[in-house]
Amino acid sequence: MNNFSELHLDALTEVFSIGAGRAALSLSEIVGDEVRISVPSVQIINSEDINSTTLSLNCGRFGAVSQHFSGPLNAEAVLLFTEEQALKIVSDMMGSQMSTDELAEFEHEAMCELGNIILNACLSAMADILNFTLESSLPNYTVASADEILHRLKKNTDQSYILILHIDLAIEKRHTAGNLVFLLSSASLTNLIIHIDQFLGSIHE
Amino acid sequence: MSKISATAPESPTAPSFSTLPAASMQQEAKRFDMDDIFNSLNLGVCVVDADGKVLLWNNWIAKHSGIKEADALNRQFEKVFSESVSPAFLTALKNTLAYRLPVVLSTALHRTPLPLYNAFEVNQQQPRMYQSISITPIQSQLNEPCCLIQITDSSTSIKREKILRSHSEILKKEATTDSLTDICNRRFFDAHYEMAVADAKRQKHPLSIFMIDIDFFKSYNDYYGHIAGDNVIKQVAAALKSQLSRATDIVARYGGEEFVLVMPHLPQEIAEQFAERLRNAVFNLVIPHINSAPFHQITISIGLCTGIPKNSDNMLNKADAALYQAKQKGRNQCISLPLCEAEEYLQQ
Repeated sequence: MNNFSELHLDALTEVFSIGAGRAALSLSEIVGDEVRISVPSVQIINSEDINSTTLSLNCGRFGAVSQHFSGPLNAEAVLLFTEEQALKIVSDMMGSQMSTDELAEFEHEAMCELGNIILNACLSAMADILNFTLESSLPNYTVASADEILHRLKKNTDQSYILILHIDLAIEKRHTAGNLVFLLSSASLTNLIIHIDQFLGSIHE
Repeated sequence: MSKISATAPESPTAPSFSTLPAASMQQEAKRFDMDDIFNSLNLGVCVVDADGKVLLWNNWIAKHSGIKEADALNRQFEKVFSESVSPAFLTALKNTLAYRLPVVLSTALHRTPLPLYNAFEVNQQQPRMYQSISITPIQSQLNEPCCLIQITDSSTSIKREKILRSHSEILKKEATTDSLTDICNRRFFDAHYEMAVADAKRQKHPLSIFMIDIDFFKSYNDYYGHIAGDNVIKQVAAALKSQLSRATDIVARYGGEEFVLVMPHLPQEIAEQFAERLRNAVFNLVIPHINSAPFHQITISIGLCTGIPKNSDNMLNKADAALYQAKQKGRNQCISLPLCEAEEYLQQ
């Protein structure tokens, strides 16, 4: 984290905002209604400093979509919403003609797709702007408690840094807040910094 | 053919996959043909190259699209079908090819992206198959970027979910319904009573509990027999139920010939009037009961307790005590006891 400056953070926020815009466009096409996604803030912290406050994980259960990716960055990306929010998002996306009980059966797959769209959009924006390509696994959706999620995030000691994107998602006037978390090794973070520096260098030339 | 081939044997012009020397493949050769595996899979498998041309088309897709492998290979994926492919699918395919990132298309949000059918018969209008699709980037042996498209039929899982849900609804209903009278059973009442009391406590609104017992039921059973007795229970249950009109009110069979009603938001006076309506509804059934003096017909006694419950109150006991008094005072009547006698006393 030593070399990570405000400027780097600004650049990343910019990259992810573009990613969010792309994700919103894809989602709008599917939903047939305006979807807006914004990334109000990006944060990088040491993984031991992660707690329920940094991720605004309070009580209840959470839906987590995760994808592993590899390349210049090796990381795990996890998109987190409360389970209740996840169901509402799915319901909004499907046009809400079903009860929450009925939605539960679709929740898993639909959340995988939603996570996949947002994660891929962020990764493709990184690829385009920071000029590197990443390989990724298919998304996986799990429902877990805040403790289980924190445990999982802290478990992997190789990945000592955590990049957190706070995400606002608005579908049909309903605002939902979630978090996109990237678990990064220090080598990956260093690589990320190098790529951001190259990008910043290229615009200053 | 013993290699993992993306080209059909009859199309030697196909570009990728098939160009490695057979010998090197032979070393890794399996004792079965990979084509057999692809063609036996119970899911659709298709590979397209960077230009969107089809390199692999397994039996499953051929069967569900009605398009033979030979007619699909080396053609643009979306042009293979005579019907349209959903724009979301094409965008996903384009993105996977451009960014090498895997994509999922869920049934929930897409339903039927590709023109695939469960039983394919030409010229027959039928709904498309519900599909779950994943698109993964792969590389050909010549390092060309390609995409693997996997399609599963989700109609069976949707159907299974629906069957399971309807079963569970039936079971849920059976678990909470009294089989003789078709009104709520004791199990449902116990759960509902707890919630109704908690609600009334929280919102500080009155709750009314009516305990109801059929008068001289044992002697009715003894004289007219158990089948006639069961019929009386059914008729009384129906008469009580017919008086209810609000969704918040329930009537349950509490025990043998005992019933209980739970009704929120009734002032004491209205609750007492309602009890009288219940008594009349059963009285008006005019079911003869020779051993029930003085009316010689089926009647009920009602114990009513109305009030805003507090922590230590047991409304059921109060209603039961009121029912006991109604029996003592000659039956075919309603006795109402306030929930908190002390407060009632102070108000007077």
